[in-house]
Amino acid sequence: MDKSKRQFLQGSGAMIAGISLYVLTNGEVAGEQQKSAVKYAMLHDENKCIGCNACADNCRKVNQVPEGVARLEIIRTGPFGEYPNQYYHFTRKSCEQCEDSPCVHVCPTGAAFKDENTGIVSVNSWKCVGCQYCIAACPYHIRFINPVTKAADKCDFCRETQLKQGKQPACVEACPTKALVFGDLNDPNSEIVKALEENPVYRNKRDLGTHPKLFRIQAKQGGINV
Amino acid sequence: MSPFHFEHLVWHWPIAFYLFFAGVSGGAMFFAVLLKNFILRGDAYKSGFVQAACIVAPITVMAGLGILVTDLTKPLHFWKIMVFYNLTSVMSVGVIILCIYMVFMFLWIALVFRPVIDEWCRTRFPWVLKLSAFLSSSEATITGLLVILALALGAYTGFLLSALPGYPMLKNPVLPILFLLSALSSGAAASLLGGVLMKGNPDGREVHLIHKIEIPLILVEMVAIFTFFLGLVLTGGQAKVAAANALGFGFWGVVFWVGILLVGLSVPLAMNLFMTATAKRRFAYVAGTATCSLIGVILLRHFILYAGQMTIA
Repeated sequence: MDKSKRQFLQGSGAMIAGISLYVLTNGEVAGEQQKSAVKYAMLHDENKCIGCNACADNCRKVNQVPEGVARLEIIRTGPFGEYPNQYYHFTRKSCEQCEDSPCVHVCPTGAAFKDENTGIVSVNSWKCVGCQYCIAACPYHIRFINPVTKAADKCDFCRETQLKQGKQPACVEACPTKALVFGDLNDPNSEIVKALEENPVYRNKRDLGTHPKLFRIQAKQGGINV
Repeated sequence: MSPFHFEHLVWHWPIAFYLFFAGVSGGAMFFAVLLKNFILRGDAYKSGFVQAACIVAPITVMAGLGILVTDLTKPLHFWKIMVFYNLTSVMSVGVIILCIYMVFMFLWIALVFRPVIDEWCRTRFPWVLKLSAFLSSSEATITGLLVILALALGAYTGFLLSALPGYPMLKNPVLPILFLLSALSSGAAASLLGGVLMKGNPDGREVHLIHKIEIPLILVEMVAIFTFFLGLVLTGGQAKVAAANALGFGFWGVVFWVGILLVGLSVPLAMNLFMTATAKRRFAYVAGTATCSLIGVILLRHFILYAGQMTIA
């Protein structure tokens, strides 16, 4: 009896270790960059942004985002400086399109997925059961439950709408100051690669290892905040 | 800031109860196996404590699953979790563990009550006896797998939360160990409380064995809590802020110091030591201690869940 128990424990222990090793070596190891033909990214120039919200409005219209939730918001901070030389800062709050996406890792059904051809993190709303694990996992807090579909929702670079028609994302088309640049990181001649090479850019919460593909050009002036 | 409603709060109290129930179930099965294999053997089905564990474990695990399903935004689509799997998702792996655990839990319970079942079926359904004899021949395997699955279930509830990179307090490697330890002590408490309520002897061998295990368990749990928060402070940055927010003079700080550390851990530890030293085990002592432990574990699940979501990376 005791001998068989010991053998059983040894056997099952070895089995668990074997399975974990198998999953680790065959699966996509965390931090590994996906190789896709096209790798879409976006750049938001916070110097050019005037906070008009045309991007957010067009996003809502094109992607039929219900009131009360948003795929894209422009966050205003400030005012900075002394009157009459006061100014605001505008930052874009939307999906950061992480290469190593926490939402994709935690989704129990695979409803949150990264498109193999474009690198776009997307949601299959039919597969989503609404456990909200992805909403809790996203370090950028940009996911929400769509009140109409009851599924998790977020920016997908207009993958289902504009990109299908060969157009630029709704926000990029709407921007009056050309503060948004969208394009393929794998194409050395694309507008976004050139812009990224020419400008000092930053990305949010890079220390979390998510490798976001939403780049930002920092506004020149700002308050001092240690 | 309201303790139950704040920015970036995604998971509410139903999830805390789910985490609690899954832990109680795994813990109760763990202690039922210990009681049967170490002291009771074939007589296990006569013990009020084993009976209690065998009632508590299925009810809690199914109640937990029920809460989880009704908390979905699309409850009727829950079957998709059972059909589509994602092995990088702790939740998906947890569902696999939960399903297999339930199978082995029922098989093991059937084996414990085999004498009763066999007696009842002897004239009515004689074919059941062949089935139970077959199950009995692989009792060691069923028991071993059940113990592993019960421990995995307790730990899984911790991994579920520690997989969230946006909350520095939850993204903590000590969390699964802490949840596993407190799941075991909640399982022990549920078996003790249910056992004495079901006319089990408060001074029986079962209580002696469980108390002998509970004392070191509570001590290790305290060490795990200490490591959990010291680890956050030493990590610095937002993790340190999270520790300060959780343990400070807010609602959740009181829950931690009074509800968890005092009522949930110190009182049961003192009572267990008292009962072991004086050998006075009465119904009220055993039931009161177990109730304190259970309250402590319920509060711990709520505290970790809510305080964990208060501070973001």
